[in-house]
Amino acid sequence: MNAGEIALVYAYLLVTNFLESLLAVCVPIVLGFMLPPKWFRDSFVSRGTSLVLLGLGYFMFLAYQFQAKDDYPSVLLKSWSVALALGIITALVFIIGKVPFLNKALGFVAERATIFLYVYIPLSLVSLLIVLPRLLLG
Amino acid sequence: MLSGAFALSRLAPTLSLSKPVQGSSRPNILIFVFDAMSAKNLSVYGYQRNTSPNLARFAERATVYNAHYSAGSFTVPGTASLLTGLYPWTHRAINESGLIARSLTDRNIFRLVGTQFERLAFSQNLWPNYFFAQFQGDIDKLIPAGSFSQVDYLAGEKLNRDLLTTQRTFDDFLFKRDTPPKSLIFSLFERIFLRRAVVQTNQGGYPNGLPQLNDYPIYFRLPAVFDGLISTIDGLKPASLAYFHLFPPHDPYNPTKQFYLKFDDGWSQVEKPIHPLGDHWSPKALYRFRRAYDEYIASLDNEFGRLLDFLESKGIFENSYVVVTSDHGELFERGERGHVSPLLYEAGIRVPLMISSPGQKSRQDVYSPTISVDVAPTLAHLAGNPIPDWREGELLPLMGGKELPDRSIFTLYALKNPAISKLSRLSIAMRKGNYKLIFYRGYSHADQFELYDLQNDPEELKNLYSDTLPVAKAMRDELLAKLDAVNAPYKS
Repeated sequence: MNAGEIALVYAYLLVTNFLESLLAVCVPIVLGFMLPPKWFRDSFVSRGTSLVLLGLGYFMFLAYQFQAKDDYPSVLLKSWSVALALGIITALVFIIGKVPFLNKALGFVAERATIFLYVYIPLSLVSLLIVLPRLLLG
Repeated sequence: MLSGAFALSRLAPTLSLSKPVQGSSRPNILIFVFDAMSAKNLSVYGYQRNTSPNLARFAERATVYNAHYSAGSFTVPGTASLLTGLYPWTHRAINESGLIARSLTDRNIFRLVGTQFERLAFSQNLWPNYFFAQFQGDIDKLIPAGSFSQVDYLAGEKLNRDLLTTQRTFDDFLFKRDTPPKSLIFSLFERIFLRRAVVQTNQGGYPNGLPQLNDYPIYFRLPAVFDGLISTIDGLKPASLAYFHLFPPHDPYNPTKQFYLKFDDGWSQVEKPIHPLGDHWSPKALYRFRRAYDEYIASLDNEFGRLLDFLESKGIFENSYVVVTSDHGELFERGERGHVSPLLYEAGIRVPLMISSPGQKSRQDVYSPTISVDVAPTLAHLAGNPIPDWREGELLPLMGGKELPDRSIFTLYALKNPAISKLSRLSIAMRKGNYKLIFYRGYSHADQFELYDLQNDPEELKNLYSDTLPVAKAMRDELLAKLDAVNAPYKS
């Protein structure tokens, strides 16, 4: 592959990553609207950040179980197992929102992480502008 | 664009392939490639087990090439050589998921037969689909790889306006099955949903599970695939070139219940010493693998019989060339199982080639060595077109060419060698007359050679190589000169 083709694959990967990021961000936003303000919106930064971090951590744990092509963590993917994991995440998010030190720390992390958005969002939008015409027009 | 053309073509009235269109005197050309099918495991070529009675039936009306070789030892170089008529060191598709050199993509069988033919391509194996995408406007209809399947989770084909890139991004990276999921949401959920789809699919009739692609999410039943081929062929308009590349008998070996354990007869081929470059499987394991492979071939052959019945009943043999071949073989010896290997023994590189000409009713045999790069120029000739002067093969004997028993032919394995560099880590098999020289470079501190007299030692048990043996020296000098010549354009 030449440099242009490699860049094109990278553009597709960035767009995919961008869509996944939007999905991940949607969860705390939707919860913020759905739940009573006291439960979530009032400490949105810390609870939203902890929710996303814990959720993605759970996904990383699940993804790690698929090492070989026929691997399938059936116990971990049973309904009760997933419900248990989500329950633990929910509890942790709730507790984190009650601890001032953790609130502050997560707010600090969230604030610093926005710096990456200055690169990530433009790159993703440029990738989208490259990918969409190719998909729509051929 | 290709799938759009395909969709539109479905709306057009279909004409029977058996009835030539007025003004079309060209024969149809149907090519069936069975991935990883070794000639050494086919009863039609004298194998101990009766694995291919229907291929034998086909052979009774075909020209059978008894010493036909693939130019590459795994799908990418083997198929690229078949499609282009060029050796791997020329087309440079020598790595996994490799591509044909950009400047050479116009050198393909679809361009060679020309626009007088309606040109169709189908490959269950994803890698030839990369080549089809490279051939762009030379193919009129491209059937998606997941067609005729029970489960098809290929993502790239769903975004087919940019097929080459989307297949590489999604199917060959994000969703590839032999590695952990590459993304935390889409890849992970794809694995979960795929597994559920497979579990919910009827797997009856296949004791080892449904036939599948080994690294990509396609599961299929052999009868459904052949029903699809039959239906596709029935809908072709004359004159057509149709290339069908089926995945079986490539591993995983999943025979039907009818053939499961059919060859559990205790028979083993002659034991051969473990090769240091092989995988060191035990003889017991190799017996099990070989048995399953033979049963899978027999399962495939059984369905091929139905295809033959269809072709005969429709009279398609009367006005068509029907070609059966493979892209490479499969090894079960010297500790090695499979084909992605530097070991280039006969079972890994000798493949079937049978061509039935229009109206042919009896068998003809060719015993002089031929190679997959001969197929492309031969197809051009059969299509009534000029033979390209850039070709690296010759016209096949009895298909416009002469027997060339002392011609040198080569098979290359260079998986770990960068395609843009000199070939320095590779193995080459060179066949000349009855002798075969195998050359290894880059695996140890010095070049290694093996020489076999295939007429007296078909199982390649006795390495005759010696610097002082005239035939060994002559073949070695020719091979090294060839390697220097193909490496000359590359700096390092």
